[in-house]
Amino acid sequence: MKKKLMALLLCVAMTAALVGCGAKEEAATSGEATTEATTEAATEETAEETATSDVKASVFWYEESDVYLSSVRTALNAELEAAGIAYDNQFAANDQAKQIDQIKTAIAGGSNLLIVNIVTSGAPDTAQDIIDVAGDIPVIFFNRAIGTDGSDNAVLDENATACFIGTDAPEAGHMQGKMVGEYVVANFDTVDKNGDGVITYAMMKGQEGNVEAEFRTQYGVEDANAVLTEAGKAELKYFDEANTDCYQVDQDGAWSAKAGKEYMDTNFVTYNEAAGNMIELVICNNDGMAEGVIASLQDKGYNKDGAHVVPVFGVDATANAVALIDEGAMTGTVKQDAEGMAAAICQTAQAVAGGAATTDALAGLSDDRFSVASDCASKLFVAYAPYTK
Amino acid sequence: MANPLKKYKQVVTDYKQMDAKDKKRFWIDGILNNALYILMAIFIIYTASVRPAFFTLGSFANLITQVAAYLPMALGIAGCIVLTGTDLSAGRVSGLTAAVAAVMLQKSDFANKMFQNIPEVTLGWILVVLLGVVAIGAIVGLVNGFFVAKFSLHPFIVTLSTQLITYGVILWFFGLNGNNGQPISGLSKEYKDLVGGEMFRLGNVAIPMYVLYAIILVAVMWFVWNKTAFGKNMFAVGSNAEAAKVSGVNVFWTTVLVHTLAGAMYGYAGFIEGVRSGSVAAATGLNAECDAIAACVIGGVSFVGGTGSISGIILGVFILRIIFVALTMLGVDSSSLYIIKGAIILCACALDMRKYLVKK
Repeated sequence: MKKKLMALLLCVAMTAALVGCGAKEEAATSGEATTEATTEAATEETAEETATSDVKASVFWYEESDVYLSSVRTALNAELEAAGIAYDNQFAANDQAKQIDQIKTAIAGGSNLLIVNIVTSGAPDTAQDIIDVAGDIPVIFFNRAIGTDGSDNAVLDENATACFIGTDAPEAGHMQGKMVGEYVVANFDTVDKNGDGVITYAMMKGQEGNVEAEFRTQYGVEDANAVLTEAGKAELKYFDEANTDCYQVDQDGAWSAKAGKEYMDTNFVTYNEAAGNMIELVICNNDGMAEGVIASLQDKGYNKDGAHVVPVFGVDATANAVALIDEGAMTGTVKQDAEGMAAAICQTAQAVAGGAATTDALAGLSDDRFSVASDCASKLFVAYAPYTK
Repeated sequence: MANPLKKYKQVVTDYKQMDAKDKKRFWIDGILNNALYILMAIFIIYTASVRPAFFTLGSFANLITQVAAYLPMALGIAGCIVLTGTDLSAGRVSGLTAAVAAVMLQKSDFANKMFQNIPEVTLGWILVVLLGVVAIGAIVGLVNGFFVAKFSLHPFIVTLSTQLITYGVILWFFGLNGNNGQPISGLSKEYKDLVGGEMFRLGNVAIPMYVLYAIILVAVMWFVWNKTAFGKNMFAVGSNAEAAKVSGVNVFWTTVLVHTLAGAMYGYAGFIEGVRSGSVAAATGLNAECDAIAACVIGGVSFVGGTGSISGIILGVFILRIIFVALTMLGVDSSSLYIIKGAIILCACALDMRKYLVKK
């Protein structure tokens, strides 16, 4: 009897879970034929029932926990709702195969506009596969680059239904490097803690093999050096001569504060003020890692009121980083414009849904935050902006 | 407990009576059984000779603080491994409790405060939050243990499910109140001081308070494992659940409680995580269980079940952190880092298993 009762309870619980998710899905445009993990089903966004157009947009995200993309998602949901476009959000949990299954399912469920945040960044063939799956349905890729150094141009040019809206991946690195260089030139003697005329730096990389991380790691230093050389100062020097990579990477690929903290703590053992070889500057791929680095510095008595501030630079301009910059613990970051990105996607979606060719849709956007790429008419860049105190 | 000196004398007399062949085997077995420690010693000596700073008080202090941060989760998960199980939900549970603790203990004047009507952060409130997050961890553990024990499901599948569910809750939590998945920071000074405040300095590195808490946890866990009926039952169930049942052990409750205790430990691990890195993001805790499981296995808590010791777990955590610190100091490039870490875990487990097979 007890066993039967238990089985019954389990059945009730399962039914409740399915009904709970199913009720939401009724409104969503995609039929969830694929077996989704509970997390995704539970967090599935619902479409606006008051949709006024017959456009059914499906938005595919590579991952749900990404900090910057969460801001884009909030802004994009609001834009799409305001534009009266029915939409649903789907998350691929960092799995490209799963994303393609989701796209197929969405098309089967009647979606007629695909907005895709591709999982495998830097692979034009994958983008081509998605375009093939979509057929006549327009595909707006965004945020994660589908190719580097123009390798995506061919795919975008050949397929009139596809376009890309994102940031020029190297630009964040260039902007960060320039900001670092200018700051160091202006404050050289303060930054040069041991007064030897050379600034030693540490570099925190978010992930191996990620296009954005590679560019930021490269240009964050190269461009800073260019500014320094021009001003007649010595180039930055990586603090650890044995490390030929000249960076330390989050081994989980999570761009995490934890990795920044642990590396910095360990670096401090060998490289500190008492030994006269302290790290004098830290460049991070994102603000999360910068926060970890600052936590470590503060443990050691730096980057606080009245104490020496080791300049730390990040990218993203998260609310926390902005707060740290305002209180003087952090020096600078590069803002990725989440609202601008969302506005560009939504306006393009409206134009494309209205029958415009993707190139015309992009060219028709009038906003000084956006610029069509010089080498490809189907590619739109949303500008970055530096943020310092 | 056997007198170590007596034991040593016994070994020496035994050794003298052996013939040449046995003597040779004695040395080979000795080297293989202790290969991990011998290799670690060589590794430490090498690192110290290339990087003298590795062998300083400051370096030791840095190592200890990292061990203290990784230890609670390993102590918890070890119980699940003793029961021949595992726990994949550990990392996410600590991520969830880290987020809850951070939100409850934000600075009152922080601009991006998630909830405005949180009480003033006092010692009492911090303890309430600590109990709260430990309870959250324990509840997830209770669910794990219940499903494992009641339905004889493999813990792999049960904890995989709860890992997903917990991650879903984390994502939902980070979206609350217009937070939009942004990381949580701006932790109050009281919270930071209580967890990460300086206890004393070793070399030029401060030892934070959570090192003391880790020592207390070790003492408590040692007592639970070695001196209580519950601890003895745990080993009995891990060695042979049927036999344990026949001899009157309540297998159901033992399993449930081992998982609950583990969950409580993850809850505590999350409580210190936010202070350690200054902020908590939705990805906090990702893969943390992998390090904890690896540490246990390196330290001799075998997946075979029924074997393991608290000292072994501490040793395992130490070895993993030594690898991280030493390789970082040596400036090893990132691709080699993964390879070396993987190879060490594999060798450690193979050597551990060999010991077991020989015994059998």
